[in-house]
Amino acid sequence: MHDSQDIEAATTATVNEGRPDDKTRRYDRQLRLWAATGQAALENARLLVISGSATSASILKNLVLPGVGHFTILDHNEVTPEDAGNNFFLEGPSSLGKSRAEEVVRLLCELNDGVEGKADTGDVAEVLEKNPGYFGNFTLVIAHNLQATLLDKLAALLWSDPTYPILAVVNSTGFLAEFSLQFHEHTIIESHSETAPSLRIDKAFPSLLEYATSLDFSNMDSMEHSHIPYVVILIRALEDWKKEHDGKPPQTYDEKKDFKAKLLGMKMKADEENFDEAEAQAYRCWTETKVPSDITPLFDDPQLETLSPTSSPFFHLLYALKQFAAQPPHVLPLSSTLPDMKASTAAYIHLQKLYKERAAEEKKTFKGFLQVPVDDDLVDSFVKNAHGLKVLKGRKWGSLDQSPEVLVEKLSAYPRETSTHLAISALRASSVKHQNAKPTAEKLTSEAQALLPAGTELPEEFANAVGELVRAPTADLPNTAAFLGGIVAQEVIKMITKQYIPIDGCCVIDLIETWTGTI
Amino acid sequence: MASPNDSGDWQGRYYHIDQILDTPGPRTDEAFMAGDGVKNFLRNEAKILVIGAGGLGCEILANLALTGFKDIHVIDMDTIDISNLNRQFLFRPKDVGRPKATVAAEFIMKRVPGVKVTPYFGKIQDKDDDYYMQFNLVICGLDSVEARRWINATLVNLVDPENPESLKPLIDGGTEGFKGQARVILPTITSCYECSLDMLNKPTAFPICTIANTPRLPEHCIEWASVLEWPRVHGDKKMDTDDPDHISWLYGVAAARAKEFKIEGVTWSLTQGVVKNIIPAIASTNAIIAAACCNEAFKIATSSAAYLNNYFMLIGTDGVYSYTFEHEKRDDCPVCGGEALDMAISSEMTVEEFIEMLIEKQDIQIKKPSLSTPIKQIYLQAPPQLEEVTRPNLSKKVSELVDAGGEVTVTATTLPFSLSLRIQFT
Ligand SMILES: [Zn+2]
Repeated sequence: MHDSQDIEAATTATVNEGRPDDKTRRYDRQLRLWAATGQAALENARLLVISGSATSASILKNLVLPGVGHFTILDHNEVTPEDAGNNFFLEGPSSLGKSRAEEVVRLLCELNDGVEGKADTGDVAEVLEKNPGYFGNFTLVIAHNLQATLLDKLAALLWSDPTYPILAVVNSTGFLAEFSLQFHEHTIIESHSETAPSLRIDKAFPSLLEYATSLDFSNMDSMEHSHIPYVVILIRALEDWKKEHDGKPPQTYDEKKDFKAKLLGMKMKADEENFDEAEAQAYRCWTETKVPSDITPLFDDPQLETLSPTSSPFFHLLYALKQFAAQPPHVLPLSSTLPDMKASTAAYIHLQKLYKERAAEEKKTFKGFLQVPVDDDLVDSFVKNAHGLKVLKGRKWGSLDQSPEVLVEKLSAYPRETSTHLAISALRASSVKHQNAKPTAEKLTSEAQALLPAGTELPEEFANAVGELVRAPTADLPNTAAFLGGIVAQEVIKMITKQYIPIDGCCVIDLIETWTGTI
Repeated sequence: MASPNDSGDWQGRYYHIDQILDTPGPRTDEAFMAGDGVKNFLRNEAKILVIGAGGLGCEILANLALTGFKDIHVIDMDTIDISNLNRQFLFRPKDVGRPKATVAAEFIMKRVPGVKVTPYFGKIQDKDDDYYMQFNLVICGLDSVEARRWINATLVNLVDPENPESLKPLIDGGTEGFKGQARVILPTITSCYECSLDMLNKPTAFPICTIANTPRLPEHCIEWASVLEWPRVHGDKKMDTDDPDHISWLYGVAAARAKEFKIEGVTWSLTQGVVKNIIPAIASTNAIIAAACCNEAFKIATSSAAYLNNYFMLIGTDGVYSYTFEHEKRDDCPVCGGEALDMAISSEMTVEEFIEMLIEKQDIQIKKPSLSTPIKQIYLQAPPQLEEVTRPNLSKKVSELVDAGGEVTVTATTLPFSLSLRIQFT
């Protein structure tokens, strides 16, 4: 125990150390989600948003606040009385007649000094026509309710080269909305997976095995005995079990029950919680540690066969991981993180040291398989998160609507989501053909049927969705805009930071019954 | 009706919303009165209360103002901190230290013409039933469980079956990181906040013996500094987790202890996170949940579309996953259920252990409960004289004081309701 003088001395020395600066304090609540690496990625990102609509402004608000590096709004329109009514980033009637891009950018920039905002009053049709290279200046492009022919053109352009920006397509009408992301490939190291990596209890590494078997349980005092970490108890009990069972772990239901009873039988006193923890964690003894089934398919990626020094570090790391896992005992490199468990400080810290040392050795072996040098922090992060790696393969925007068979399948599996999606596609197609005419349920139904194999019956959910679109065909409702503003911004943050897992498909939203679904 | 000048309206202002208010949709209830009637109610009559002007509150106020609510009240007891600025978008660095409710109200009125926002800088508990009775709807964007339980119970108690106006729909939102939930509570009709208490995540608590004797994690060292060392060294001086000097002191003490035990990972930020129980928060999640809440308020106020029945939960960490379901009312809910909660305890259990259990139990969670039976007081936390008189009962067995099948009433000063337990012994 310290006396208070020691404490004062210790505190004076560290009083200013580690204290966050103003920027860290401002971003504190989000840094706890994506850390400095995610924040740096966000600050390096450049966004282009097509239109200064209420929805576009809502999306941007949620990206300007956390500190995205740069955004441009491309919009050649002037503020109308209708815009001034539904967009929080316009100043009511006093914004009327001014450039919508300039007004929205001005008011968004008030939210965060650290963000650069630019208004571009050019016409997206002209830019697409005359200056397609323009889009290459951005990390990610967001298009809200972009007219169908322009949207097709933009999507095709951005798809034409894998180095072009990601495209977020957002469409909304009244209470209904959908959005999707167009990208070729998205790799994630920090997926923030909720499954914990294996502790290798079934395949204990030599130093751990040696430690677990060298302890003399029977001559410990009661304090020590009640603080043996469950990891050690399990390894010890498993070793003893295997000696009596031809080297095999408990397999049948009865054996497992027996094993658990043996664990509890090791108690010196009834209230030894560490043995209860061991019993609760006993499944670790017969759950074989191997490469998780989500990870094995990644090893078949054809890019691993054609690596060159310019290939992305992710695939070089994945290649090394594949080589590592090909060696016995066919597992992923050990993670150095140990969960908390009932233990004395000394026992826990010692166990942690064994895991850390082994993890460092395995990381060294892993690095030996790398064909190019890779930044050490990246290697660390990759090894630590290896059990949650993701490689998402994207699709070209609109490909779903070009596959009638897939649409029919989706329609029967997810009737409400697919119906709403079809209705929104139909409205977009119809507004190109009929320009300013108010859409009718008949017109929209026939547009939707044109996307499906002849004779496909549309479910009741379709009539519900189409009815809503006919009711409010051009409504950009503040609440729908705000909802989309949040949900699209979350996805953009996940894409830019390469943390967490973005949507895989088209996210459909119905704010009448308040549901979302992904098809 | 107000003149166009008073209302601040201009031609085309509600072009988007009027598409919804002028025509019913396929799923709209027949009771919907499309056109002027509903618009007049929304814009000139409806009075709505927003509780909380923080992450959710700022978003809620902006959405309500844009959808046409013109008489909005907001309550918040906090002042603005720099760490609010990454999401509470009505506040600027110059506002740090000012009351959230006041600054938010000023901002909305400046930005959205014709909307009146009345702030109250203080606690919801300061207001009485008459105050809550004046509103048509209440939206809650709070981070405190205690405050939510209070407003929930208050609105349930307000319901007078003879007076339909006394039923105030309560819309409640909450977020944590990429996750959140929005729900509609019709007091006495649907499941209430108290009914779902067991859905809350249990806060991580570290046993005092671990903190004192066998620290393993950096969190254990931080708890040691704040729970044991602060009172030992500073006596009665209250620890203020908003004071950076206090956090620095705790950090220094925790770091020294960690070093002594060879524990890694104590940082300033972790120290602050542990002692303030910081929950990560981002603008985008707040936007989703606030929008869902306001959308329900709009649908309830206008009947333009069916409202949520009754719980929407969103998880944005792996794709966009959401789940909409009807949370069921609990017959033994202490607030809206009316039936006593059955509870079986050991006949050996002491009153003190019983109190400990009530504090811990997920569906009860009452801090500082006072216990009585219809004929005697078992233990009262306050006033001090009665606490002293009933204190000897703490070491007695519950079975000595309560008959099998007998009822125990649990109350707490922080909650405007009492909980009836029917006790059986095992
Ligand atoms: Zn209830």
